[in-house]
Amino acid sequence: MKRIFETSVAGRAFGAAALSVALLSGANGAGAAEIKIGVLYPISGGGAIYGGPAMQGHDLAVDEINAAGGVLGMKFVTAARDSKLNPAAAAAAAKELITKEGVNVLLGGLASSVGLAISEVARQEGVIYIATIPKTIKLTTTKLHPYVFRTASNTDFEGDAMAQIVKKVDGKKLCDIQLDYAYGHDLGDGIAKALPKHAPNANIVIKLRPKLGATDFNAYITQIMGSGCDTVVSGLWGNHFVNFAKQAAPFGFFGNHVYITGGEIASHEVASKLAGDYPDNVWSNTYELWYHSPTDAHKKFQARLAKKADTEATAMWPVLAYNGVMLYKAAVEKAGSTDADKVSKALEGLTIDTPMGKLTMDAKSHQANTGQFWGPMKKVAGKPYRVMDPITFVPPPE
Amino acid sequence: MQGKYKATFWLSVVLVALLLLVPALGSKYLVDLTTEIMIYALFALSLNVLIGYSGNISFGHAAYFAIGGYACAIFLTTYEWPLIISMPAAIVLAGLAAAFVGYFCIRLTDIYFSMLTLAFGMLVWAVAFKWRGVTGGDDGFVGVAVPEFIGDRYAFFYFTLTVVALSTGLLWLICHSAFGRTLVAVRENRMRASFVGVDTRRLRLTAFVVAGTFAGIAGSLFAMYNRGVYVESAFWTESGQVLIMTLLGGLYSFFGPALGAAVLYTLQVGINQYTEYWPVVLGTILLIIIMFLPNGLVGLAQKISAQFSRRT
Repeated sequence: MKRIFETSVAGRAFGAAALSVALLSGANGAGAAEIKIGVLYPISGGGAIYGGPAMQGHDLAVDEINAAGGVLGMKFVTAARDSKLNPAAAAAAAKELITKEGVNVLLGGLASSVGLAISEVARQEGVIYIATIPKTIKLTTTKLHPYVFRTASNTDFEGDAMAQIVKKVDGKKLCDIQLDYAYGHDLGDGIAKALPKHAPNANIVIKLRPKLGATDFNAYITQIMGSGCDTVVSGLWGNHFVNFAKQAAPFGFFGNHVYITGGEIASHEVASKLAGDYPDNVWSNTYELWYHSPTDAHKKFQARLAKKADTEATAMWPVLAYNGVMLYKAAVEKAGSTDADKVSKALEGLTIDTPMGKLTMDAKSHQANTGQFWGPMKKVAGKPYRVMDPITFVPPPE
Repeated sequence: MQGKYKATFWLSVVLVALLLLVPALGSKYLVDLTTEIMIYALFALSLNVLIGYSGNISFGHAAYFAIGGYACAIFLTTYEWPLIISMPAAIVLAGLAAAFVGYFCIRLTDIYFSMLTLAFGMLVWAVAFKWRGVTGGDDGFVGVAVPEFIGDRYAFFYFTLTVVALSTGLLWLICHSAFGRTLVAVRENRMRASFVGVDTRRLRLTAFVVAGTFAGIAGSLFAMYNRGVYVESAFWTESGQVLIMTLLGGLYSFFGPALGAAVLYTLQVGINQYTEYWPVVLGTILLIIIMFLPNGLVGLAQKISAQFSRRT
């Protein structure tokens, strides 16, 4: 009798496994009348501060395209997954979006490590990937392939702008604190490359590399304070900077150092979160500001976004996700097809109008000519939190 | 061959035959999912040698999975070695690492053994995280140069099926040999086993090496399948996940952990498509296993079968 049990148990085990697999096997490929977009932003954990707003911009673009009749007679449909700031999880989700959902394109990513992982899946599967936020220079240099394109800025552009600010504030002894992953390392390299050009008298005296996702910066703060540097160059973004600023303030940190960062902490997301705790002597960057419209197109975009988000003070990341969708739409229109090879060719050299002005995708590097606003963060009467003042647009270097 | 072994053998043949038919269903997704499940099944089976057969709970088993993965990726890509050398070398390296760690761990028992495996596991993670020039650090080792003959998803599926089937067969032989039987005796009563002349330390070390080696095989398959290895593969959460797979399937059954891997991984993939709250589901599953299913799904099936046969 025992033998019968054992064989039947094994049989049931195999049966259950087969059934579970069968239940999940139905492929929901893109239908004939739709173009399916796979989107990967972090919508949980520490990255959600940027991923959530990015999804708003993505949805706004899709709504506008569909309201105008779609592309080539097809509607845009979104399949979104949580990239979790985790390259392994993002790669698995990207693969699932392609093989199960049958998406025509991948958009998004936030952390550079996640961008590299999604790009590798796009390369394997022959699907277009437009990196709307990841900035590691590797994506468009050593890891470049025909299917990857970037609408975000990159670490070399940012490093160059930061070196110009080092010159402006007359920084001599620099402390370099970056997160220990692709973006942090590449931004550190970008700054080091640009310093001899813009601020040859400045020297990096210490390099610190906290982990991506770190929340305790006390050990790094004391090392910086003990190193005697006058300027800090950094890429701490989102909650990393929020925690860093709150922990550093009691030491009088920001009274003794000029803090220059490429972590977009001038954005609404971070500035509003820190509000009264936002420190002095910070120079930062942002792609977009709700309180500054350089073009009429931006004014209209911001009004639509404000309506969708139900707040006048809108976030910065939506414009990046919005531009990514609009670039893909233009490429499909130009190619007259969703075929990845044809869209890839169409993307090379393509120029579109965006809320921030003309955006051109370089045919060789697959990098868009995306500049950023840079400036010091100041208290201004009538504004709910610190704002950038003066605002200077820094175009990408030639 | 004894009757029950004959039945297991034929059921395994049927399962392999069914798996061979998966690509014919025409779903790339199903092929990918099955490949992933087979890899995790082998990973869970390897852990069960240590937990189910020798009674040693490891919290750091992901270390050997990661070593196998990183080593295979580095040999194939950085050194451009052929697969026939890269994969065996990676497996041997995982086995050697297990021998080194096991040498220290088997000197301890119970919670102390478990905590030491966790410590070594996190050491491997720290090396992978900080040795950026070799492993890629937090970005992972992306772009593994997989040989062309298994570059296609279908070819890789058959390759994985072959490797996993052979490895499972080998593990089955090991677990059902005199060595495996003696391991069970050590698990049941270590002192009594040593009184009858069993060198329990040597036996536990061998089990540690066997488990680490087969985890290395699973890791090298994982690296090639993903064309990348990430530092999370060595993190304690990965060790926790494979432990839950083993518990879910059933510790005291040879095939139980494979079933646990299939069910847990399928649930994880399915639930992640609809919500970001997978950790909540995972916690609930663990709660249910601990409170109601101490012998896992296989134990539950056995209980139901027993009740059913009593009625008939």
